[in-house]
Amino acid sequence: MEVPSEAISKNALKRELKNKQREEERKRKEEEKAKKAAEMQKAKDNKSAPADDDDMDPTQYLENRLKHLSVQKAEGKNPYPHKFFVTMSVDQYIKEYGGLSDGQHLEDVSVSLAGRIMHKRASGSKLVFYDLHGGGFKVQVMADASKSDLDEPEFSKFHSNVKRGDIVGITGFPGKSKKGELSIFPKTFVVLSHCLHMMPRQKSAAAADNANLKRNPWVPGNTRNPEAYILKDQETRYRLRHLDLMLNPEVREIFRTRSKIISYIRRFLDDLDFLEVETPMMNMIAGGAAARPFVTHHNELNMRLFMRIAPELYLKELVVGGLDRVYEIGKQFRNEGIDLTHNPEFTTCEFYMAYKDYNDLMEITEQMLSGMVKELTKGSYKIKYHADGVDKEPIEIDFTPPFRRIDMIDELEKMAGLSIPKDLSSEEANQYLKDACLKYEIKCPPPETTARLLDKLVGHFLEETCVNPTFIINHPEIMSPLAKWHRSKPGLTERFELFVNKRELCNAYTELNDPVVQRQRFAEQLKDRQSGDDEAMALDETFCTALEYGLPPTGGWGLGIDRLTMLLTDSQNIKEVLLFPAMKPQD
Amino acid sequence: MEALKVCNLTWHPLKHLLHSHAFRRTPRTMVLLACSSSTAADTRAAGRRRRSSPSSSTTSTSDREAVRAIRLKKVEELRSKGLDPYAYEWDKTHGANQLQDIYRDLGNGEEKNSENDHISVAGRIVARRAFGKLAFLTLRDDSGTIQLYCDKERLIGDQFEQLKVHVDIGDILGARGTIKRTEKGELSVCVLSFAILTKSLLPLPDKYHGLTDIDKRYRQRYVDMIANPEVADVFRKRAKVVSEIRRTMDSLGFVEVETPVLQGAAGGAEARPFITYHNSLGRDLYLRIATELHLKRMLVGGFEKVYEIGRIFRNEGISTRHNPEFTTIEMYEAYSDYQSMMNLAEEIVTRCALAVHGKLSIDYQGVEICLQRPWRRETMHNLVKEASGIDFNELGNDLNDAKRVTIDTLGKNLDNKDKGSIEACHSIGHVLNEVFEIFVEPKLIQPTFVLDYPIEISPLAKPHRRSTGLTERFELFICGRELGNAFSELTDPVDQRGRLEDQIRQHEKKRAAVSTEDDRKDGMKDDDDLYEVTLDDDFLTALEYGMPPASGMGLGIDRLVMLLTNSPSIRDVIAFPVLKVQQ
Repeated sequence: MEVPSEAISKNALKRELKNKQREEERKRKEEEKAKKAAEMQKAKDNKSAPADDDDMDPTQYLENRLKHLSVQKAEGKNPYPHKFFVTMSVDQYIKEYGGLSDGQHLEDVSVSLAGRIMHKRASGSKLVFYDLHGGGFKVQVMADASKSDLDEPEFSKFHSNVKRGDIVGITGFPGKSKKGELSIFPKTFVVLSHCLHMMPRQKSAAAADNANLKRNPWVPGNTRNPEAYILKDQETRYRLRHLDLMLNPEVREIFRTRSKIISYIRRFLDDLDFLEVETPMMNMIAGGAAARPFVTHHNELNMRLFMRIAPELYLKELVVGGLDRVYEIGKQFRNEGIDLTHNPEFTTCEFYMAYKDYNDLMEITEQMLSGMVKELTKGSYKIKYHADGVDKEPIEIDFTPPFRRIDMIDELEKMAGLSIPKDLSSEEANQYLKDACLKYEIKCPPPETTARLLDKLVGHFLEETCVNPTFIINHPEIMSPLAKWHRSKPGLTERFELFVNKRELCNAYTELNDPVVQRQRFAEQLKDRQSGDDEAMALDETFCTALEYGLPPTGGWGLGIDRLTMLLTDSQNIKEVLLFPAMKPQD
Repeated sequence: MEALKVCNLTWHPLKHLLHSHAFRRTPRTMVLLACSSSTAADTRAAGRRRRSSPSSSTTSTSDREAVRAIRLKKVEELRSKGLDPYAYEWDKTHGANQLQDIYRDLGNGEEKNSENDHISVAGRIVARRAFGKLAFLTLRDDSGTIQLYCDKERLIGDQFEQLKVHVDIGDILGARGTIKRTEKGELSVCVLSFAILTKSLLPLPDKYHGLTDIDKRYRQRYVDMIANPEVADVFRKRAKVVSEIRRTMDSLGFVEVETPVLQGAAGGAEARPFITYHNSLGRDLYLRIATELHLKRMLVGGFEKVYEIGRIFRNEGISTRHNPEFTTIEMYEAYSDYQSMMNLAEEIVTRCALAVHGKLSIDYQGVEICLQRPWRRETMHNLVKEASGIDFNELGNDLNDAKRVTIDTLGKNLDNKDKGSIEACHSIGHVLNEVFEIFVEPKLIQPTFVLDYPIEISPLAKPHRRSTGLTERFELFICGRELGNAFSELTDPVDQRGRLEDQIRQHEKKRAAVSTEDDRKDGMKDDDDLYEVTLDDDFLTALEYGMPPASGMGLGIDRLVMLLTNSPSIRDVIAFPVLKVQQ
């Protein structure tokens, strides 16, 4: 039981306590020095506090810390200083002084570091050891009364009030302990911000792990083991992400990796002369995909607006307007359930490239993803991923280009021994696929439209085989209302989806740019809608008019950034790669 | 013919169809202005009435329908000849500007046709002229324009005929050929073969008339961009600004993160939020009105330098300065204070100006703005004193006194609305801010940092280390507009909770006042303040874990782009702005 989860779940109680606390504070301000002196006396008596803290009730702990703060305020001291001048980061410090020899001290050098105290160990009243964490790095602080600006009683009183979790600023000189541990020896030591809650305790094993902080940094493409984290409880980790980041250093690397993935994509597209644009997140019609949108309302305009489910239609309008290569990286919103791979808001990259088709885009996809994997993993096309849970052996996923390509209908017929009627919009095809699903016991919740039946069969037979990156290509028209009909295969489109670890990562096609056909496709979607598929696409008149001005032949492409980040950070839950995932209300 | 049938059902008339055929069979030389609507046939069929009503930006509906019908017919004709009016791809070797650059030194009348000079281009046809066996088309692509020189003798097969019959202004064309500069000095692609890549169905708007219909420009941005290539430049510059900001932040070691748009409580600013409903969670969610509170939680988590560039949503009126969704960058840096944020603001804005203009002196709507550093830094108190003569430092602590002095001193310069807002202030800080907004803001044309805002209007800023009642906060003004807002962040969780609770109390009071007023006014609803404000407890809990001393800043990217592209309205820098529902 490392997490004081009682304290966390009892917000209401805490608030009450705090109210009481403020009352006390107010009273205290009115009181005379006598009281203060008494408090000081009390603080002095608390010398051995650090050892006792750990057994304290979390609520009691918070109360004590608040008391400590209000005493300081009453004394006219600012417990939250405005500025501490940092001369170097912990990282720089390690680089600069890591080479000192054991026992060497540079007493005439002055350095100022700041960070969070993650470990405290007193060795008598005159010597206190701390672990100072900053920017994902750690250095030891050896607070020695003889080196401090404070006299001995002041020193021990001061340090008794420095708690695990506090943010501190230290000015002192560098040196190495006799055992060879790089340390800083403080002359001055300021608490810059206070941790009012009891930090979950680090077990000795975890602490040892911690000592290796950054010595063996986790690299994208390798496995992670959240079971071994100091803070394990998922609920707490996602709700109190700040605590997760503080205690589990690897978590910071997940989000750095996410940031690197996005900047790789940006660089890749910028190098191809793409222009990054922003299109509206609030739309009059939620188009460009099939999904249930969020609805909101603009008061002054008295207008119903939908949160976008895809930027596709706007981006194609910009291509009509003459921007031949555009992309947008941004949030999409879908009013759907929350599970291991779905969050109501998620991040995608979509790009549109005039004069290119889906064949070109497959090559670009291969280049982008293989290049990215190689750069992030520092030289390998292969990544390790716990596809079957952390307790099973991780699988290897190989991004070496070219990726496998399979033709959707051909391959489905082969794998399932089917012979699907060529006219997929026919009643006959629909019945055939219903029977096929029945035969293989594949459930398709109603409405049983041909598109949905096919999707289920493909999910069952094809997607299951796509562990290494695989393009499933040439989807039927009925499944792809915005894709252009195939130049040589009737009834199909020039579309591909890239699957990795059995999940869809990219979706792309040669864009449908014939406005007449586009209107027909929307009309067919309307039929599906009327037959009960409320995820069928809605007609967007502005978009159709834009096509009438002429959209050049264009290849369009979309990528789910959260899912890609999951793969590269060995995350099985989308919440691992979102800083603040959507959570069920607590009460 | 299937396509035509459908189109017949959806829209009707093919009125002018027969009429136009007559003209197509009698080819004549036609000279058309760049970007005026379409080809000879179209113009004849549909254009006459247009010319008589120049104020209209496009052809009337029936004209448009006629043009569409003619062109749909062409689509069918192309298909019947085995040609694809909607091609799949085109292998383009050069952009127009690239060619202009490569062949800069080619003399008038000179040709280049060695192997390396066989090139291919693609783009939209925006003008054409035909003389018997010669036709000149202007092709525009992403980078610029180039002329297509089409000589019947050189074009393969019957392509010259096809060009005359099937190509309209507005079509997307791919052309292969060699290079030639005409006697008149126009660099041209001497076309050997071409393909219609996308047949356009609607006539392009007239450049000059197109400009007048502002509403339509925003509603159909793509038409605006086709008619006015400089519009696309604004978005190119916008991309440049955003990427320069990113580069600056990255080079300083900041990490870019993404925080949620949908939130349980909308905090970090005072604004009416959008509300939506999540079906499966079964709860209301707010669209974020700022990124501040989540980014500060990152600082608590140990990130020392973070930023987010992203969309913010405020359920407020639209104007030339306001769109319901807009883009900001917010950045937070541990162990720094608002002084260093001023330096960072200067750094970012000047770098962007240099990226876009190459210089620091820029023109905005006829006023020269000098971005040379350092920028003026002055306290709010001093600026107000300078502009109004009132020294708020000497006003004491009595709110009614302050209001009386203010109204007495400024009386004749205040209209009733101003007086009303001053009367409504519930603290001296608010009075000061009112006077600032009325008298100072519009005059802050050159870049100015306004420092040390009153604590009453700055619930997230740290108290000033020297002056009680003030905070360590600044706003950056350029051209009378707020561009940035920054403070030394409040890190004391007790103080923060008190201030947010106070803010909620004030808001509830206003809300109560508004609703009683509404009762009286009977239907005259001013529900501006009727929305609910909730406390972000997760943020406050995070602060209790200790946030390092830090400073943070928000910059409005749309406003920065307006400044750097000399755009008068925010709608000029947002590709698809929100507009009122069309009648």
